[in-house]
Amino acid sequence: MYQYNEVDQTLVNERVEQFRDQTRRFLAGELPEDEFLALRLMNGLYVQRHAPMLRVAIPYGLFSSEQMRKLAHISRKYDKGYGHFTTRTNIQFNWPKLEEVPDILAELAQVQMHAIQTSGNCIRNTTTDPFSGILSNELEDPRPYCEIIRQWSTLHPEFAYLPRKFKIAVTGAPEDRAASQVHDIGLHLVKNAEGEIGFEVLVGGGLGRTPVIGKVVREFLPKQHLLSYLDAILRVYNLNGRRDNKYKARIKILVNALGVEEFTRLVEAEWEFLRDGELTLTDAEIERAKSFFKPFDYDPKAAEDKTLADKLSADQSFATWYEKNTREHKVEGYRAVIVSLKPYLKPAGDITDVQMDLIADLAEQYSFGEIRSTHDQNLVLADVKKSDLFAVWQALDGGNMARPNIGTLTDMIVCPGFDFCALANARTLNIADQINEKFDDLDYLYELGDINVNMSGCINACGHHHVADIGILGVDKKGEDWYQITLGGSSREDARLGKILGKAVAADEVANTIESILGVFVEHRLDNELFRDTVQRIGMDPFKENVYAVAH
Amino acid sequence: MPLLINQQIVEDNWITLSPERLEETAELPQGDLIVPFTYFLENQAVLDAHEGQVGVQVNGDDNLAELYRLHQAFPLVAVEFPVLRDGRGFSIAMQLVRQKFQGQLRAVGDVAHDRLGYMERCGFNAFQIPEERFSQEDLAVFNEISVHYQGAAEDPRPLFRR
Repeated sequence: MYQYNEVDQTLVNERVEQFRDQTRRFLAGELPEDEFLALRLMNGLYVQRHAPMLRVAIPYGLFSSEQMRKLAHISRKYDKGYGHFTTRTNIQFNWPKLEEVPDILAELAQVQMHAIQTSGNCIRNTTTDPFSGILSNELEDPRPYCEIIRQWSTLHPEFAYLPRKFKIAVTGAPEDRAASQVHDIGLHLVKNAEGEIGFEVLVGGGLGRTPVIGKVVREFLPKQHLLSYLDAILRVYNLNGRRDNKYKARIKILVNALGVEEFTRLVEAEWEFLRDGELTLTDAEIERAKSFFKPFDYDPKAAEDKTLADKLSADQSFATWYEKNTREHKVEGYRAVIVSLKPYLKPAGDITDVQMDLIADLAEQYSFGEIRSTHDQNLVLADVKKSDLFAVWQALDGGNMARPNIGTLTDMIVCPGFDFCALANARTLNIADQINEKFDDLDYLYELGDINVNMSGCINACGHHHVADIGILGVDKKGEDWYQITLGGSSREDARLGKILGKAVAADEVANTIESILGVFVEHRLDNELFRDTVQRIGMDPFKENVYAVAH
Repeated sequence: MPLLINQQIVEDNWITLSPERLEETAELPQGDLIVPFTYFLENQAVLDAHEGQVGVQVNGDDNLAELYRLHQAFPLVAVEFPVLRDGRGFSIAMQLVRQKFQGQLRAVGDVAHDRLGYMERCGFNAFQIPEERFSQEDLAVFNEISVHYQGAAEDPRPLFRR
C-alpha cells in the first residue's frame, strides 16, 4: 500500500496543528460558528444528535493492521469502544469530544491517517473496487490512479469551496463494485481500439433527493491526462454549479440543466488550456504510484494445498462460509475473505475495538498486513492462502464476523438513521433488526440467491436505497416512521434506479412487505433466476398487486 | 479595512466605488478607482477620461469571458467572495493567472484567516480583510501548511514535477 514520504507526513502533521488552532479559536469565541462549521466539516467533524461525529478517511478503502490497531485504540480512548464503516469506505466515530478531536487527529497522523475532506463541499475520499489488484479479468489495478487522485485533491486550494460535496470512484474491471455510475465522476479503466488503456469518464451521477445515473462525457481519456481532465471538470463545475439552492447544487443538476453535450463542450474547451500542461501525468509518476500496489510475494507452494478440500467436506459450517464469504483470487492457492460486519441484530458496518484488533491480527498473520473496507460496509482480507482459510474462519467466527450472509438479504447497507444522525427522518436500525429476525433461516436466504437490500433513514440516501434490489426509505409522516419501498435498482455495471412499489408501509409492516415481495419473486422465478432478473423480466405490476392486496 | 499585500499590512491607495456609491456620485472622485465590472463595461468613455488608474471588481455572476478578454487593461482586479461558501473566486483567480494577468489581484468580501492560504495559492496577492475579522495572527497563516501536492499560481508544477 501507499507509504507516506516526508511531504505526506509533513502535510498531515501541519494539518493537525492547523485544525488544533481552528478548534482553539472556535472554543475561544474568535471564530464564528458558520465559519468553523465549514472548516470542521472539511475535516470530517459533524455535530450530530448525541455528540460530534468524526469521519476518518480510508483512501480507496485500503489500510493496514497498524492503522486498524490505532482505530481500535481511538475507539477505546476517545469513544465508546466501537466505530462504524460507511459506504464511502471511511470509518466514523460517534462519541468524540470536540476538544479532543485535535488529539485524535494527532494520533491518526502517527499512522499516516487523517480526516481531511471526509465531509464538506470539497472532493471527498475516492473509492474503488475492494477486490482491486486480485482479479484475473482486471485491465489494470485502479488503486495507483486513486492515489494520484488523492494527492491532487487533498487540500486543493481551488476546489475547497465547491457548490456541494464531490465524489469520485474508479474501477479497473468489467464489474462495478464501486457504484461508479452514481458518483459525481465515475472513472472506468477501458481499452480502446488501439489496445491502449485509458479512462471512460462519466459525470453527474448521484443519489440523494434527485437520483441520477452518470453520463459518459468522454469514452476514452488517455491515462496521462487524468488530472488535467478532472481539473477541467471541477473548474467548470465550480464556476457554473448552482449556489442558490443546496439541493440543486450537485454537478448532476448542472449536467442535466446544460445537457450532456453542452457540459462536455465546456469541459473540453477548458481542457484545451490544460492538456499537455503541467498536470499531465509523467510515466515516472504513474510508475511511482504503481510501485506501491505491486502484487505481494505470494507463496508459490500455496497452489499445492490439499487440506482445504478435506476441511470443506468435514465441516458444513465452514463450507457454507467459504461459499458465501470468500472470493476467487487470480493467484492460485489464494482466496479473498469477506469479513461480515452484518452480524445478527447489530448495526450494519459497526465494529468494536476488540473486533478491530482481531482483524488487525488476522490481516497481519494471514493477509500481508492489509485490510480493505467495502462500499457495502464489510471488510476484506484480500490475500489469504487457501490452507489458512479454516483458521481465519474460526477466528472470525469467534469474533462474530463470520456470519455467512454476504450477498444475501441480510447483508444490508444501512445508514445509522434517526438513532444517530441529525438529518434522518426515520429509524433504520430497528427495521434492520426486524428484517434480520424475520429472515433468520439461512437455507431460505441461500435459496433466494443474492439480493441486496439498502436502507436510508432520509432522502439524502446515505444507505443508497435507490440502487438496491429492494430499497427502503424511511419517511416521517406526522411524527410516525413510514417506509417507502423501491424495487429493481442496481449500482453495478447495469446501474439503474429502483421504482417505487406503492404507498409507504408502517414500521411494523416492513419485513412482512418484503416477505410478500419475495413470495411474488419465488412464484415467478425461472430456475435459479436472480431476484433482479425476475424484476426486470416481469416488471412492477405483479409485485404491486400482491403486496397491497395482502397487506391491506 | 486592513489590506495585506505580499503578506504585509499596507495603506490602501485605491478607492472602491460600490454600485450604491456610484448611483449617488455625480462625478467620479479623484484618485485610483475600483469600479464594478458591469459599471466599467457601461461607462468606458467616462472612465477613459478619468485621470487616475481604474481597476474593476468582479464576482462569479459577472461576464467572465469579457473579463478574461479585457483583463490586461486593468492594473487591478478585485475578485469578490460574496459569502463564505461561494468559492468561484478561486477559479476566477486561477483563470486570470493562467492568462498571465500581471496586476494586483485582490480578494475582497468574505476574506478571512482560514482562506488566505488557499487564496494566495490561487494567485491573489492582495487581501482586503474586514476590520472585525482581522488579527495579527492572519500574517502567520500563509505558512501553516508548508507542503503542497498541487501546483499553484506561483509555481504551476504539481509535486511530481518538482
